[in-house]
Amino acid sequence: MINEIDLKDVLARSVGSLHRDLVTRSTGAKVRSSIEEALTGRPADDPVVLNFSAVRVLDCSCADEVVAKLLLEHAVGAEGRAVCFVIRGLTETHAEEIDHVLRRRRLALVAEEVGERPRLLGEVTPEAAAAWDVLADRGGAGEEEIASALALPPLEARNALEALVGAGVVRRSEGRYLPLTAA
Amino acid sequence: MTYVVEVPQILEERSFDQFAAGFAGVGDAPRVLVDAHAASWASPAGLIGLLCAGQALAARGGAKPLLTVPADREVTHYWTRAGFFAHAADLFEIHGSVPRVKPHPERNVLLEVTPVTVADDVHAVVGRIQERSAAILTSELGLDPKATMGFGMALSEACQNIVEHAGTGGWVAVQRYNWRTIGRKVVVIAVADAGVGFRHTLEATQGNRFGDRWGDATALEAALIQGVSRFRDPGRGQGLAGIRRYLGRWHGKISIRSGTARIAIIPDWERDDEPLRDGLPPFPGAQVQLVVPEVEREAR
Repeated sequence: MINEIDLKDVLARSVGSLHRDLVTRSTGAKVRSSIEEALTGRPADDPVVLNFSAVRVLDCSCADEVVAKLLLEHAVGAEGRAVCFVIRGLTETHAEEIDHVLRRRRLALVAEEVGERPRLLGEVTPEAAAAWDVLADRGGAGEEEIASALALPPLEARNALEALVGAGVVRRSEGRYLPLTAA
Repeated sequence: MTYVVEVPQILEERSFDQFAAGFAGVGDAPRVLVDAHAASWASPAGLIGLLCAGQALAARGGAKPLLTVPADREVTHYWTRAGFFAHAADLFEIHGSVPRVKPHPERNVLLEVTPVTVADDVHAVVGRIQERSAAILTSELGLDPKATMGFGMALSEACQNIVEHAGTGGWVAVQRYNWRTIGRKVVVIAVADAGVGFRHTLEATQGNRFGDRWGDATALEAALIQGVSRFRDPGRGQGLAGIRRYLGRWHGKISIRSGTARIAIIPDWERDDEPLRDGLPPFPGAQVQLVVPEVEREAR
């Protein structure tokens, strides 16, 4: 089951049905609060897809307030219930804004468009970014595969993969590491 | 006795210091006349700068300041259509005939002078301008369609400076006109308020770091170049950084005047400006101007 939250509906509930622009911090706080409500009662295991396809303008302040703070609150080890998010329906401009706000807070998130390879937004270490590329290309890999593909010592490969798990963009399953996707 | 502040014949960013110098001399004068009779042109930054002067004078209490309208009828018409007099009437006692035309977006006015006080105002401004700016940025300025989404972001972030930091309301205006020194069209976003200004906003968190150097110029550098904010949250202070990224991509220009200083990030096409000026005539609040230029013909 895909847990998808359409930002169009969230915007309508938060600031009115005519709004298509995610701008200002106060709107961002309302939208985040509305997303929190929508998360209640959803299964914790599946990633939650945030669908931005109906959003027109996204500013940095609102991107920080909605996306970055949502990740902070639901990160593994944070106070809130751990939830993994995937983001969809981004324009290039949206993706750039989100990438910047995530980098500022050293967070990362998977952006996935239908039929395209998932990509990382935000900041991870160079080794973790390289490991992500392999995982995204192959749909998953074991520790040894990553070590071999990147010519890394096994411990460094494991650290890179665990950093991705810690960032909430990769899952462990039966000895393999799988990129987080909505599918 | 009435103190007269003369409005330069051409009121725009460069001549604004001349206006500010006159304004700085107001002191405790019980009656102030802002004399625009000789004005022949005002940029959006100039128009909302006049409103800021009115706002600052109104905040003193006492008699409403006077404003004489431009003698040139066409200029007065243009200022009316740009939405200036609709707001000036709240702040000034207006002397002279103001034409009875409703403010409305015309070819060059993408957004008439619009007050910004709360976040809902920012939403309204971004919502209203998006389609019109898209058409002008792409068809007239020759920018990639991707530029239009970033334009809304930059406009929103510039306006949010008022909502988040000014401690008072302000105004925004957006116009398209020809930038004479380069002979190209530009779209200009002007945002201004007569609030507390950058130095005061940042003083509590940044003042100690700069020690004796702290002032309007260092506050502007801290905000625009270093991306600091008055909040300790690392997620804050991204608005001006976002504007810089946008303008950097489209070869635009940003300048901010606050208190006695002005900072600018100057693109190659602007040959006659300075990155940082200090010791200017004091003027309340903050005045932000963003300029997006037409793509050079041979680059299209």
